[in-house]
Amino acid sequence: MNNYIDRLFDLRDEYLPLAQWLQLILADAPHDLAAGLTTVPDVDDQFMDADHITFYRQIPDFAQALLMNPTREDILRFGPLVFHLIACPTCHAAYLEIYDAMSATIGIKDEQIATGQLPQPATNTLTRAQVYTCQLLIHQAADVLRAARHEHKDQDAWARSLLQQAIYFSSKIPQSTQRQRALQDLVDVATLFDKEDKSESAAQSYIPVLSGGYAPVQKTTRRLTDTPGRPEGQFVIRLRTKLSKLEGTITQNNDILELHLEDLDQELRGRFLLISIPFGPLLEPVRWIGGNPHAIKSVVPVGEDGSLITPLGSTDLQLSIQEEYNLLEAMFIILDVRPAD
Amino acid sequence: MPFTAHDLRYNLSDSFPKLYTYLHSRARLSLGTFAYDADEVEIVIEHVIEQLTKLGLLGGGDHTPETALDRLNNAQFHAFLNRSVTNKAIDRLRKRRLPTSSLSAFEDAGIEEENDPLNTISDSIWGSPPFPTPETAALQAASQKDLRMLIKKCIEGLHSAPRQLLAVIQELEEIGIQDLAQDLRDEFAMQLAQVELSHLSQHKDHAHKKLRQCLQHSSTNLAVLVALRLTEYRQNFPGTDEISFDIKYLVDERFSEEDVRMGLHHLARIGLLDWHGEEVVHITSDQRKHLAHFYEEEE
Repeated sequence: MNNYIDRLFDLRDEYLPLAQWLQLILADAPHDLAAGLTTVPDVDDQFMDADHITFYRQIPDFAQALLMNPTREDILRFGPLVFHLIACPTCHAAYLEIYDAMSATIGIKDEQIATGQLPQPATNTLTRAQVYTCQLLIHQAADVLRAARHEHKDQDAWARSLLQQAIYFSSKIPQSTQRQRALQDLVDVATLFDKEDKSESAAQSYIPVLSGGYAPVQKTTRRLTDTPGRPEGQFVIRLRTKLSKLEGTITQNNDILELHLEDLDQELRGRFLLISIPFGPLLEPVRWIGGNPHAIKSVVPVGEDGSLITPLGSTDLQLSIQEEYNLLEAMFIILDVRPAD
Repeated sequence: MPFTAHDLRYNLSDSFPKLYTYLHSRARLSLGTFAYDADEVEIVIEHVIEQLTKLGLLGGGDHTPETALDRLNNAQFHAFLNRSVTNKAIDRLRKRRLPTSSLSAFEDAGIEEENDPLNTISDSIWGSPPFPTPETAALQAASQKDLRMLIKKCIEGLHSAPRQLLAVIQELEEIGIQDLAQDLRDEFAMQLAQVELSHLSQHKDHAHKKLRQCLQHSSTNLAVLVALRLTEYRQNFPGTDEISFDIKYLVDERFSEEDVRMGLHHLARIGLLDWHGEEVVHITSDQRKHLAHFYEEEE
């Protein structure tokens, strides 16, 4: 360490003015990136700069190059990252952590790691980590989409992959309230996808009643059991509009997923509807009617009483199996309807 | 069966419980008297999970490029995770105002003592440990010849806005960086001859913004790297003065085709190459001399 300090003093005399000028230039930028590293960032405030994501991911390679004696090519390759570290406290802090952790890997030969004998943590703490990881994956997808927009690149496939993993991940969380927390920002991310993926403005927008969750229809739920075609004991995903509190359900008839809506507006009655499920493409096991989950046309018009029953698609997933129910429920986290004509 | 970095990248859902179990056990070991404080344990675990996610490893699949973490052997990867947990645990203990004498007090003797990283790290040209603060990062960047070259090239890029260039030259002179300032005055004497400087601070602000972007943008350094490689890998066309390079020969595991193309584009833009996106780059001997001068340049 003393050698290092001596070296810094040697450098100081000759290069201090240039170093100070560099700091003046680079630290001039406003920093909206310095949020804490241990909290899930707000969708709107973290990693706005596309370059920032790229730089962060270079840190392990940079740290390894430093530990292995960098070549001239290494110095040039990581030059922009070095300048970024001067400018960005978040990346600098991450760099220090990762450098230190990478230093712990030097010289270790591959050998068996006995993780199988570790004590198993309690299920509830695993759930908390699962919720957190889902949120991170969703926020990561948002970051990717924002960066792609900034760089005029198409990163939809990557963002969809992250969201798909978040949804599959959430399906393993047994408590519906925790699943709800895990997926709470999913809807916001849907708005970041390219315009061609977005439906026109919806006449009604439904969300699942997650707290009702995984349960067969009970005798006490009059409206559901009264409706023909939904026998008692059937597993349903309950839907509700945000504002007007209209209700709907998704049921399964063999492998067909059916949408049931009630009390639709007067202006929709007698008309065919287009149903949009923004996250429909994320679950491959569903074969959508018409092939496009953004525009599924109802097979019948809305009845004069404001009700509609129409198939959405077929799937091997079963609402009666909890993990599969959870997957489908997450996919229907937004369901928009609008007139087809 | 232990999990691997590959599992976390390609099979997150199944490998996550193993990752969590490992991090949980290490966090409890590292947190000392707070080992049974569930919140503290979770904060440590969440920090490591967040870092792995931001690095593009967790669930990254083929969408994020491999990093050094993917290339670690499994024991090294677990050592990386273990040290990450330990560091965060120490951070938490410090925040709880507990005395922490040294890192080693919290490390697992069985794994860490035999492989004390501080005994095995080679002393890099950056010093050890490099860049402990942003200030020292700036000092070390200023002291590196190749990074000074990048700084100079970014300043030279201001020549299309002579007022901004002059504002920066004056600034360099004021803070005592005479050599660089004089080099720039000599190099751009014609452009600067007729420039009258008014609204200095406005020009300086614009120049700083451009420099900030240039220094942190890859094209300048990639151009230097490509220029280096172009003069290393050459294949003469028989009977001609022209030299040709297939782009693929310039690519390796650390330098992607996209990097190469960005560097070539930059070189073409500043007139050192005649290249319009073709698979093969043709350069004359004159161009090669200019390329060599481009990366050898020093203030």
